[in-house]
Amino acid sequence: MPLFLREKKSLTVLIALIFFHLILISIQVPLGNEQSYFEKGFFSVFSPVQHGILSFFGSIGKLWKNYFYFRNVQTQNQRMREEMFLLRQENNLLRNALQKLKSEKEVEENISKIYQNILPAQVIGLDASNLYKSATINKGSLDGIKKNMVVLDKDGNLVGRIVGPITLKEARVQLITDSESGVGVFSQINKVMGVLSGDANGLCSFNYVLVTEQGISDGEEVVTSGYDGIYPPRIKIGKIILMEDTTSLHKEIKVEPYFDFRYLDRLAVITTDLIDIF
Amino acid sequence: MKDFIRVSVGVIIAFIIYTIFNKISASLLQLFNVFSLVVIYFAVEKDEIFGACLGGFCGLIHDSFSLGVFGVAGLAKTITGFLAGYISKKIDVLPVLRNFVFIFILISIEFILWALFYSFIFSQSITGGRKLIYFQPLSTALVGSVLFLLLRRIKKESPLS
Repeated sequence: MPLFLREKKSLTVLIALIFFHLILISIQVPLGNEQSYFEKGFFSVFSPVQHGILSFFGSIGKLWKNYFYFRNVQTQNQRMREEMFLLRQENNLLRNALQKLKSEKEVEENISKIYQNILPAQVIGLDASNLYKSATINKGSLDGIKKNMVVLDKDGNLVGRIVGPITLKEARVQLITDSESGVGVFSQINKVMGVLSGDANGLCSFNYVLVTEQGISDGEEVVTSGYDGIYPPRIKIGKIILMEDTTSLHKEIKVEPYFDFRYLDRLAVITTDLIDIF
Repeated sequence: MKDFIRVSVGVIIAFIIYTIFNKISASLLQLFNVFSLVVIYFAVEKDEIFGACLGGFCGLIHDSFSLGVFGVAGLAKTITGFLAGYISKKIDVLPVLRNFVFIFILISIEFILWALFYSFIFSQSITGGRKLIYFQPLSTALVGSVLFLLLRRIKKESPLS
């Protein structure tokens, strides 16, 4: 084929591919936060592969440890860690619940309900574009995962919520550090209310606090308010590390989340609507 | 058929490395663009159309593991794949140093394109506290040029080639 014809063909293919991608990007606009079928398809195909690869290497690692090192100690330690993990979650959630629940009977009823609804999950991947946006976990619809379920770290601090796509054994978690996220919050001491969203740099912004507001200070803890209808109240999020008055109506407040990206391998998904309990 | 298998194996290996890097440390993901290396390698070996198609496919895999707009990395990698195939037909990019510069320029172009699309869509900086990402073209080019050299030598010595 002559060179100019070949180049023309190549250029046509390139333009067609660019056009295809632009259409792909455009069709997401009316969908909002909902994923397109194309994206869901890709995620459904490749996330189990990712899960499988990690399980494979994880199994090899476990095999090595179990056979050549402290086999019994390892198993026992693992079991105790699992138990400690669940107890820590339960303890944290009950602590919050106790602040509101009045009768002892009510507390008893809810203890079992909470314990049964903590689902430990492992992070199998971080966001490919921005680490602070999302993470993929190894639990999916077969484990009872649904959209908007609350996700906590090993110490019971808020990490985010489940967003789509959800496959049979994988799901995506939107982190509170994502700039598109929004959490109804208040400051622990004076209950100053606002909306928390991520800044995509690993920190969060405490928005909509008027510059005239005096009842909020540096180092103060920030907890969920429960008014957003997704996150239950009084879950710890982080502490205020920076507060500045601006020329606009609202203060600029930065919050450092308690959850640590370095230890974000193990999470707890709350599979019940905690707002009912609290 | 043989080519299809080779490309599939290449993409699978890239995906395995990507997954392992993701698990070991997030910094490794910022430093090495494994999918782009596969795209450049096969684009140079085949042609620009193949490079663009493979780039689009690998970019969409990358996009599917990111919360946000699906297709941004796909678009950037499509252009990278096309350029890799097109330039390699005009210039000999096989000598090691030239190969290093070639990969460095391509990864830089992809990075700039992706950053532009990303900033345009999300109205925010791409770095997000991740300064290591600026070293991605350099580190990927270093690893890529050595890797491609080794692959070419293996291929040359292989009785199947």
